[in-house]
Amino acid sequence: MPASLDIARVYDEHARTLHAFLLNLTRNEADTHDLLQEIFLKLARDENLLCGVRDERAFLIRLAHNAAIDLLRRRGTRERARESLAAETVSPFAPAADPDEQTFRRELAAALAELPPEQRAVAHLKLWAGLTFEQIAAALEIPPNTAASRYRYAIDKLRGRLRPLYEELK
Amino acid sequence: MRPGDFEQKLSRQPLKPIPADWRAEILAAAREIQASRRSSFLIRPSWRVTLKRQLTSLLWPHPTAWAGLAAVWLLALAVHFSLRDQSPELAVKASPQSPEVVAELRQQRQLYVDLLGKTETREADRPRELAPKPRSEAVKIFAS
Repeated sequence: MPASLDIARVYDEHARTLHAFLLNLTRNEADTHDLLQEIFLKLARDENLLCGVRDERAFLIRLAHNAAIDLLRRRGTRERARESLAAETVSPFAPAADPDEQTFRRELAAALAELPPEQRAVAHLKLWAGLTFEQIAAALEIPPNTAASRYRYAIDKLRGRLRPLYEELK
Repeated sequence: MRPGDFEQKLSRQPLKPIPADWRAEILAAAREIQASRRSSFLIRPSWRVTLKRQLTSLLWPHPTAWAGLAAVWLLALAVHFSLRDQSPELAVKASPQSPEVVAELRQQRQLYVDLLGKTETREADRPRELAPKPRSEAVKIFAS
């Protein structure tokens, strides 16, 4: 008999983080839903999957990252082109009432979409999931130095892209 | 623009919330799988069913390929058994000599005898009788 896993508890604790991460990587609501569901179905199929896992969140982020990368690889060139076109419309950020803030979020979403997926993943986990480089390294199965350098590259690109708008809105 | 300020500005941007209706949908699908797995653990299948499942899982990915391989094997076996008693060596050994060949051989033998001018074979050419004799008799023969 398998160990009983409280799926609802796992969902309530981690689904929000996973949703934002997947949405930032896929830029597609339907794909995000499918991948999130795939993760929880995997947990339901193998209820021992989380047994002995020290950092549940890092483990789930790794599952989400692998699933998203698989999806991105499955998409063909045509799909990727469509994704880049749709990137301006599907934003991972909540809408803002203030027009200036809304403009900044729209530009930030577009700038993030231009980053390579590996840099985007690290930037997202550092900025919006609050993970340390060690935690990011564990989640993405990369060395901490690689995580840090990817973050630096990502921040430099975002800064270069958003500097005029940032200075204007400040 | 100070690096820390910019990163703080980015991290303050609120993310889209997860749609509320996803929770019920995803958890329902997950619980369905959990329930089916638990019931499958409670009802243990018989060894025949287990064997069938294992075989099906083994063969299912390419059933046509397996069927084709089996057909090739059957064909190879059929060809093997149909050709086994018709090998040329055995066929030659099994066939009796024809009367023409026998007559030809006799004719050649007669021609050989005529050319040599002898009808009897030489004493030395005759095979010796090898019937066992007592040792004393053999001694007498050599003494005479």
